[in-house]
Amino acid sequence: MRFEDVELGDELPERHPDVSLERVRTFVRAGHHDFPRFTDHEVAKREGLPGAVVPGIMSQALLSAMIHDWAPGSRIRSLDTVFRTPMIVGTKPTCRAAVTDVDDDARTVELDITMTTEDGVTSVLGTAVVELD
Amino acid sequence: MGVTIEEARADWVGVEFETAQYTIEEADLLDWATSVEEADPRFVDPTRDDFQAHPTYTASLTSFRMLPDGFPELGNGRGIDGGKAVTSLAPVRPGDVLTGHSLIADIYAKTGRSGTMIFIVHRVNFENQRGEQVSTVDSRIIRNSD
Repeated sequence: MRFEDVELGDELPERHPDVSLERVRTFVRAGHHDFPRFTDHEVAKREGLPGAVVPGIMSQALLSAMIHDWAPGSRIRSLDTVFRTPMIVGTKPTCRAAVTDVDDDARTVELDITMTTEDGVTSVLGTAVVELD
Repeated sequence: MGVTIEEARADWVGVEFETAQYTIEEADLLDWATSVEEADPRFVDPTRDDFQAHPTYTASLTSFRMLPDGFPELGNGRGIDGGKAVTSLAPVRPGDVLTGHSLIADIYAKTGRSGTMIFIVHRVNFENQRGEQVSTVDSRIIRNSD
């Protein structure tokens, strides 16, 4: 995907990432965020959560991977997200994004990004600025 | 009477209150990227010269206090997570030693249907061992002002 190929309103291919317990365990160990609320449903429930939750920073990384799938070699300059609803480990989220602005001088695009639960509730939303060749 | 937002801004915005160092490990970068099904070889092939950290990796380097000692009691309670923004300025590579400088970047209020909320923005500026700025991570704390 080159900058010239992008048009305002373009939608990125949806992504349905694997947020299984195994994947989350690998992620939190890599990020040194190995807390039971992310990897143990019973502990999370005792903390008042519906179950073990996908860390917010993992959601950011999943959204970043979706952007790289769409535009390999692109450079994510910034990614700004708000975490609205817990994403439960082992469920089936959907990542989506759409182009909302283009900057011809900087060769960057702005994306609106979301991650929704399998019930269609928005769990994460935000924006990303991506530089393309 | 507590301090106002304007007084807190004048006293605390821009004041650096903590630093920490992190050595970047290749295995962590690889596990991070593969666990989110990253396919771009820059992030999953350590044999490449341009192998580097996934763009939001620095968001995991957060062994910081969110607020400095003596920070005023603005609003109620500890606050809720208001989101996180990561800015990538230069690649982070295995073996890099990053130094994070922690500060309060902004304090402001917004009024909506549920009343006035106070936003406190905690920022960490990361530089590498060559003094190059590589990333900024902002974490927003939201408190009810009532």
